[in-house]
Amino acid sequence: MILRTPAPKRARPIEPAPIIESPPVGSDHRQLAIYEDPSSAGPARREPSQQSEHMLCTYQCRQMVKADFLDALSNAEKQVQDYQSKLAELNDNFGKADEERKTFREKLSYVEQELAAAKGREQALHDQLLKEVNDSHERLKKELELSAKLQAKLENEQNLRKKAESTAAAAEDKAKELEAKLGHISKSIEKEKKRFNNELAQLNRDSKFSITKITVDLEKMEFRAKSSEQEVELLRKQQEDLQSKFSECLHQKSELEKRLTSLSFEDDSPKESDILVKHLQEELRNYESEVREARKLKSAHDSIELMKEKLLEEKSRRERVELQLPKLQEYELKINKLEDELSAWKLMIQDIPGVSCCDDVPLRISALQKEVIDNLKKLGEVNAHLKQMQVVLDKTQLDKQKTETEAALAKEKADRLEAEVKRMNLMLSAVSEERNMLKIAIEDFKSKNEQAGGHASSSALQELESSLLKREPYIKELEGDLFAQKDINTRQQDEIKSLHDRLNSEARKVKSLERESDRLRSEIFLLESKLGHGDFSAANTKVLRMVNTLAVGNDAKQTIEALQSELQRTKEKLQALEEYKSQSGNSGKLVDSYMSGKVAQLKEQIATLEKREERYKTVFADRISVFRRACCELFGYKIVMDERQRPNGIPVTRFTLQSIYAMNDDEKLEFEYESGNTNIVENGYTSTSEISQQVDIFVRKMNSIPAFTANLTVESFNRRTLS
Amino acid sequence: MASKTAAKDIITLRGSAAIVSEFFGYAANSILYNRAVYPEESFARVKKYGLPMLLTKDEGVKSFISNLNAQLSEWLEAGKLQRVVLVIMSMNTGEVLERWNFSIETDNEVVEKGVSREKSDKEIMREIQAIMRQIASSITYLPCLDEQCVFDVLAYTDTDVAVPFTWMESSDAKLIANPQMVKLHSFDTKIHKVNTLVSYKNDEEESDDEE
Repeated sequence: MILRTPAPKRARPIEPAPIIESPPVGSDHRQLAIYEDPSSAGPARREPSQQSEHMLCTYQCRQMVKADFLDALSNAEKQVQDYQSKLAELNDNFGKADEERKTFREKLSYVEQELAAAKGREQALHDQLLKEVNDSHERLKKELELSAKLQAKLENEQNLRKKAESTAAAAEDKAKELEAKLGHISKSIEKEKKRFNNELAQLNRDSKFSITKITVDLEKMEFRAKSSEQEVELLRKQQEDLQSKFSECLHQKSELEKRLTSLSFEDDSPKESDILVKHLQEELRNYESEVREARKLKSAHDSIELMKEKLLEEKSRRERVELQLPKLQEYELKINKLEDELSAWKLMIQDIPGVSCCDDVPLRISALQKEVIDNLKKLGEVNAHLKQMQVVLDKTQLDKQKTETEAALAKEKADRLEAEVKRMNLMLSAVSEERNMLKIAIEDFKSKNEQAGGHASSSALQELESSLLKREPYIKELEGDLFAQKDINTRQQDEIKSLHDRLNSEARKVKSLERESDRLRSEIFLLESKLGHGDFSAANTKVLRMVNTLAVGNDAKQTIEALQSELQRTKEKLQALEEYKSQSGNSGKLVDSYMSGKVAQLKEQIATLEKREERYKTVFADRISVFRRACCELFGYKIVMDERQRPNGIPVTRFTLQSIYAMNDDEKLEFEYESGNTNIVENGYTSTSEISQQVDIFVRKMNSIPAFTANLTVESFNRRTLS
Repeated sequence: MASKTAAKDIITLRGSAAIVSEFFGYAANSILYNRAVYPEESFARVKKYGLPMLLTKDEGVKSFISNLNAQLSEWLEAGKLQRVVLVIMSMNTGEVLERWNFSIETDNEVVEKGVSREKSDKEIMREIQAIMRQIASSITYLPCLDEQCVFDVLAYTDTDVAVPFTWMESSDAKLIANPQMVKLHSFDTKIHKVNTLVSYKNDEEESDDEE
């Protein structure tokens, strides 16, 4: 708008004319020296000196200048508005940048916190790793020490086991050799036992034979005794007859004497009586001489019989000696064989080490058995040690497993740490990239601010830069820590590798020990199978079996007792044989003396038996004769006893009784005695009427044989005396 | 014998010997029934160890087993018994077909010093029950005894044991050549530990021979 009448101008101080760069208006590039009117409120200024001059300018110029100025003003206003909008934009951008800066600051702080946390975690992990590594080191050291100790123990025990095995093998060999020798010796002993048993059997047979002979002889002797008794009876009868005759003669003599005495009173011819007396005396003398001769004959007969018996005995002795002569030859052969065997035994005993005589053999065997038992004990102890070793092995395996798990855990932790380190690196790289991006953005922002002439954002950018600069050393420190941790991780990995190598070596050792344990388990299984099979050691165990089984009753108990007693007897015999063997080892002379002594003993026994037999016979004969005489005198009967057999084979004893008052020899009573029953036997005498009546009355009705015999005795006595 | 305390019972040497000898009696009866050594009708059912057990009614077998148990108890109290073996043999050939082996481990400290041990009676009964079940189930794998069989009992003792009147020392342990063995459970009274094992004639060899 162009003012028609300009306002009065005011006086202004002299100021240099500001140079205002007007924006180019169209294509006009002219420079306008603006006429400042003191009255104008516009920014145009003029010097007072020039004001007057310019006041002098025309109104058009002023208006032109005013128009130009106004245009410039509008342009400037427009520019200002533009600049203001631009400022607003820049402010917005600055706000956004501030926000971004704040976000980046937050991110930085978050990253810093994370970095600090990661650092702390790394340090904690590092400490843990160090602790674990130290613990694993210590455990490995301990395990290595333990394994070294165990190895040393294993070696010692292996050496001990080898020694024990060698000694056991040597002892077994010795034991086998000794067992073989013992087998030979036992076989030979058994053979000798069999021989001695055979000899004993033969001796038993011989003794039985001798006993049978003796019995036969006894029977013969009995028969002879019977015959002699019969002869004696006959002689007694003869003697009795003679005595009776003698008594008759005496009776006749007494009668004659009586007659002589009676005749002496009558004074008859004495010559006939003297002749009778002389004849009677001669007859008496003859009878006496005959009696003496009979007695002499009887004594001679007795002596002859004794001589005969002695002859028979000597014959039998001679026969026995003749029978025993070949046996002596056999015994001599056996003695030679025994001597050969004894020499062989002696050689065998000499071959056995540590044995000088037969008595040392059982001692040596017992010593070897003790050695075997000791070796077995040692083996048992070794097995116990091996079991302990197995236990220790199991423990080491468990420890190994634990260390392996710990090493795996450490590996996992190391992997995690590596992953975290990688992540941290990535984060750092991301942060650095963001920093670079921020730097670029800040530079762009700076450039923009410089162009816009803004000062407020530069300070913020400078702050950002300063904060970034401050963070850089932290980042560098983090990088250094990362490198250090990487170094630590590499070292730990190296240590872990070394630990793995050690673990592998220990695993190999453990496998070897496991193999040994498997072998020992197999041996234990074999032993258990043997135990299950039922094997046992005779030194420690004996097997007992119950005898009172279901099929055995009380009778079996008795048979068992008898068998046990027989067993004890046979054991005693065996002990005697063994003693004999031990004695036989001294010399063959003992065998000879033993055999001859045995033969002499047998002969002595035979002689004693024969003597006893004779004594018994004589005593029996005497007693029998006394008894018979007593019976005859007390009961008035001569009793003759005979043993017969009935047709059915039952032995029966027959007694024939003859009364001393019998008139003739046919008056005999016969009785049969069988199992406590006495029965009268009918004969010619008992069939007579008188005797048969008495038999009917006393024997059959009254059942009393003594009454019958007593009645008969009285009747015969009466008959005799009356006659 | 066993007096009940809170959780464990006191076991003396005599009580343990009685438990083991009683166990052997019932085990022997169970074996005789399961292996058909005697006919089924000769057995009566009783309750023992929480199970229905079968005892023989045959007076001879009963007296035999009772005498056996008395002697085993005596040896167990003396600590002289090492093993008891029940042998099943063929009546015709006398061949040993099965060996039921009861090995005994004795705590010598108890025998020498007369101390006692503690263990629950229920636990011992449970262990014995397991063995009895195994004996009953053994017929599933043991070969069939087609022929008439008889049984005998062997006792493995220390060498210093005096042989009783009704026993005799046997040199024949009645072993089986190349046997098959099956190990059963064991029970422990803390004084006597009894391990059970059955060995039987290898039936595969016979079947191979038959083929």
